Amino acid sequence: MKMFDHHIHMTSRTTTDYQNMADAGIVAIIEPAFWLGQPRTHVGSFEDYFLSLVGWERFRARQFGIHHFCTIGLNPKETNNPDVADGVMELLPIYLEKESCVGVGEIGFDDQTPEETRLFEAQMQLAVDFDLPVLIHTPHRDKKAGTIRTIDLVKASGIEPGRVLIDHNNEETLAATLDSGCWAGHSIYPHTKMDEGRMAALVQQYGTERITINSAADWGVSDPLKVPKTVTAMREAGISEGDIKTVVWDNPVAFFGQSGRLDLGDDGGRPSIDQSQLWEGNSVLRGQEAVIEPAE
Amino acid sequence: MSNPFADIVWARIDGPAKSWLDRAWPSAEEAQTSVRFRASFAGVTRRLRGVEVTGDDIASLTDAGVIGAADWRIDRVARVALLSQVLVAVSFEEHAAFVRQVYLRGDYKEQAAVLASLSFLPGPERYLDLAIDACRTNVLDVFEGIACDNAYPAAHFPEANFNQMVLKAIFMEVSVGRVAGLAQRATAELSRMATDFGDERRAAGRSVPDDVALIVGLDAA
Repeated sequence: MKMFDHHIHMTSRTTTDYQNMADAGIVAIIEPAFWLGQPRTHVGSFEDYFLSLVGWERFRARQFGIHHFCTIGLNPKETNNPDVADGVMELLPIYLEKESCVGVGEIGFDDQTPEETRLFEAQMQLAVDFDLPVLIHTPHRDKKAGTIRTIDLVKASGIEPGRVLIDHNNEETLAATLDSGCWAGHSIYPHTKMDEGRMAALVQQYGTERITINSAADWGVSDPLKVPKTVTAMREAGISEGDIKTVVWDNPVAFFGQSGRLDLGDDGGRPSIDQSQLWEGNSVLRGQEAVIEPAE
Repeated sequence: MSNPFADIVWARIDGPAKSWLDRAWPSAEEAQTSVRFRASFAGVTRRLRGVEVTGDDIASLTDAGVIGAADWRIDRVARVALLSQVLVAVSFEEHAAFVRQVYLRGDYKEQAAVLASLSFLPGPERYLDLAIDACRTNVLDVFEGIACDNAYPAAHFPEANFNQMVLKAIFMEVSVGRVAGLAQRATAELSRMATDFGDERRAAGRSVPDDVALIVGLDAA
């Protein structure tokens, strides 16, 4: 089955991950701009990071037959850093214009501070100005209240809720997110957030409309194969192939397709692979045989 | 001065694409506000999607000195047009720094377009550092932007840099037949480097790319 992991931080992952993801059926991914695990001390560090998302990382993904897109934004945690926050905001209009940028994100609340609120609102306005959908992170701490505040802020922003995906939902937040008219993402994680079996149960309870899943894999303990593993869990739970496809392909394509920039090729299939484009010291290959496959 | 790139773009667009370019076209007053220019430069591919260059346009590009013009799409033409236009308003002394920033902030298609434009900008010799630096990329599209169908390296690179670029093309399996002016710039030193590379491949039990023999043959000719 063809799958779309719409939230994964590949900058932190290896080529083995890319290969395993491709083998498991992942055809397209979105890499939201986020926090790198430690605070950045210069605005320029953000700019180089954004550039890697529209440059080198896209190229890496393509060598494994995976379409790579990104969302661009200032993550919630670093909105609290006055050394960088406003400088990054000034850069965003450049990177929101990039061809492979399919949304604003990930933005939202972390500690739910006044600065987070101010720049969350400002970035919602950017989404309106640039006519882009929005990927919203919900906080780990005080999650339910943070999700309700998020929904209130979305409503106040005037953006159409169908252009907003609220991510990292769980049993406590999903009903409110769906009631708001926003899309509901679920990050399937080894120990926190959501797991495969619980996700299958949520699909059985709530159906598939506006529901998506992703791995949110990053530099921490996480698993870039959580989307295919959840497909297996949904199958074992008796969920139909059509419903599974809706969750792992049709829904993310429909949501991010609202950007008008989700170019999946003529047939929406796997892009052609030509690892021989580069080899030895110059590429992701290190002396092994290049894989060359036509588009599927 | 007539700008063939701009002429083509303006002749081909209408509707929303034209409205966008009307707004994005650099004016004399605000050309240096680089955030706005960079955003326009980034948006070109999306904003002009669906606009096609014609056979006449390819002939015009070829007349203007473009090599491999049949491979040029509207986004490439428009980016060269935009860059040429913005430089009209940037002071001559600032051109190299300005173009370098546009290059550094580009995605790979933007970077390739900047590299393809270098021969068509005023005082092209001033972009030598940028062009040499571009050869250090690991992204194929960017490397091809400078190494393939581009008159710049043969016209401006010192021998050592030109030779390095040719050898890197072999490493990246980019056909050296696409390096413009290769026959004119072929030297005994380049031939020696290619020969050594072939020996290294044979010693490792690997095949030798055909382009090695091609380069050695150029020197003998």
